[in-house]
Amino acid sequence: MSLISCRALSKSYRKGPNLVTPLSALDLEVPQGEFLALMGPSGSGKTTLLNLIAGIDSPTSGELLINGQDISKLSRRELTRWRASSVGYIFQLYHLVPVLSAFENVELPLLLTKLSRRDRRAKVSAALELVDLADRADHTPAELSGGQEQRVAIARSLVTNPALLVADEPTGDLDRESANRILDLLRSLTRDHGKTIVMVTHDPTAAAAADRVLHLEKGVLLETAPGPHP
Amino acid sequence: MIRLLSLAWKQLIRYRLRTILTVLGVASGMFLFMAVETLQDSLAEATEQTAADTTLVVYRENRFCPNTSRLPEYYADEIRQIPGVREVIPIQIVVNNCGASLDVITFRGVPDGLLRKFAPEIEVVSGDISEWERRDDGALLGEQFARRRGLHPGDRFDAVGVTVHVAGIIQSPFAQDNNVAYVKLPFLQQASRAGLGVVTQFNVRVNSSADLKPVAEAIDLRFKSDQQPTNTRPEKAFFAETASQLIELIGFTRWLALGAVLAVIALVANSILLVVRGRVKENAVLRTLGYPARAILFLVMSEGGMLGLLGGVLGTGLAWTFLRWQSFTLGSEGHTLAVIPEFQTAVNAIAAALLLGVVASILPALQAIQQPIVKSLRG
Repeated sequence: MSLISCRALSKSYRKGPNLVTPLSALDLEVPQGEFLALMGPSGSGKTTLLNLIAGIDSPTSGELLINGQDISKLSRRELTRWRASSVGYIFQLYHLVPVLSAFENVELPLLLTKLSRRDRRAKVSAALELVDLADRADHTPAELSGGQEQRVAIARSLVTNPALLVADEPTGDLDRESANRILDLLRSLTRDHGKTIVMVTHDPTAAAAADRVLHLEKGVLLETAPGPHP
Repeated sequence: MIRLLSLAWKQLIRYRLRTILTVLGVASGMFLFMAVETLQDSLAEATEQTAADTTLVVYRENRFCPNTSRLPEYYADEIRQIPGVREVIPIQIVVNNCGASLDVITFRGVPDGLLRKFAPEIEVVSGDISEWERRDDGALLGEQFARRRGLHPGDRFDAVGVTVHVAGIIQSPFAQDNNVAYVKLPFLQQASRAGLGVVTQFNVRVNSSADLKPVAEAIDLRFKSDQQPTNTRPEKAFFAETASQLIELIGFTRWLALGAVLAVIALVANSILLVVRGRVKENAVLRTLGYPARAILFLVMSEGGMLGLLGGVLGTGLAWTFLRWQSFTLGSEGHTLAVIPEFQTAVNAIAAALLLGVVASILPALQAIQQPIVKSLRG
């Protein structure tokens, strides 16, 4: 069963006098539990597609079903609520709050829930355990390496237990060793925890960690290449 | 909501320098605001008449300073004959300065045995009233006056050529009483060289506030053709008229308070605006995590409110301590205005600071949620 279904998905916006169309009538199915990599040159529309899937941008036309729900029809408020519970976003530059500790950063999405302090603590601790950073819970981002920061960001995206994770070049700012560790972590999330991951990357090595690789060019899916991990 | 407040608080205390600078700025504004409000409140209390006011002041016509108002003491007997009059007390007032001053020394001479009738509210808080009754030169000092001058029971002090022995310290719900020295009338008449039989004014208690006007008119009519014609007014109106220049000056300070309020708004708005601009991506990330716009609004506005509250508590607290410690007494034409901070004024000032902080952050908060998430993330 597909977790993500895009049907004739298009996105256009005005830039000065020009109409820019980063995505044009795109069809895509992503099964549950798949690790999908999106590749393509700059401006090909891959980040636009990722943002649409993450619910932080709205399509101009077409259908975008996530877990059977057309999120393009949701109101702004409903979409915000959906994001809080159904998707985790991993940024290239981590985007942790600098004055908060790793623990507090991971706890951020849970502050919106009705969970008790004890339950929040348990969930945050479990997420930090999962990314192997339980011993760095009290450290601020400035006291962590880039790889550790990204693992904290992954823990933050996981803490509400969403079925879908989207990652925008999660290894783009990391050295090879740290990047490999992040990719191993993402793979284990699909393999052991059944998460569906959509990852944008420029890096063929990172893409190779995915189950499937899609190439986008000028808003159109050109090629489907199977990854090395069927 | 408490969780978001806690998050806003963490942001405040961890950006320590910015917070300290903003809070100090707000505190300076609120210090000024509190000082001006205290001045205005003290003035209102001294001049605004209420239905409970039943006292008239009989003064020499066309005279404004106690040194020039000289009325024959026997007028008291004639005033007592006028219908509606309950009590008449001749008073001699001696001051060190008839002009505007921040440190006025006022002696009030009241007839022996009439102090309790003249000011029944006063309470002796230290010293001994029997010593005042026993000694000719005994003085009962208002607590503000004693504090300002550092005087205690048993001390002697000299001012305006009058030397007195401090018999006790008194406290009264009326600010004027807390700023004067009560002595016996004959003693003051002689010590000030005004001479026996001459007083500065008469304080006349009438049966009800409805009697104020007819009794005042009757008194002035009675002495219109006498050698010392009188001008009779309700006590608070008397103060308002004789200290009109002082009151005008105090009225002007309203603009200072307004300036302080605007400065606080501008400071908090500027600080929060810088915060919002510096956290465009951070707010976009929170929205990506599922924080609704109202949560972001609440976070930004609570940070503004906290800055206002902290600055308000600090500035108001400092102003309170300063005004209590200094015990300022504004004087003009022999009338004193004690500048005493009230608890309610402090509460109002702190609430105003909180409100200003919240109001000042409305625009920055709206700015924080208006830009689309994707655009904010691109930065």
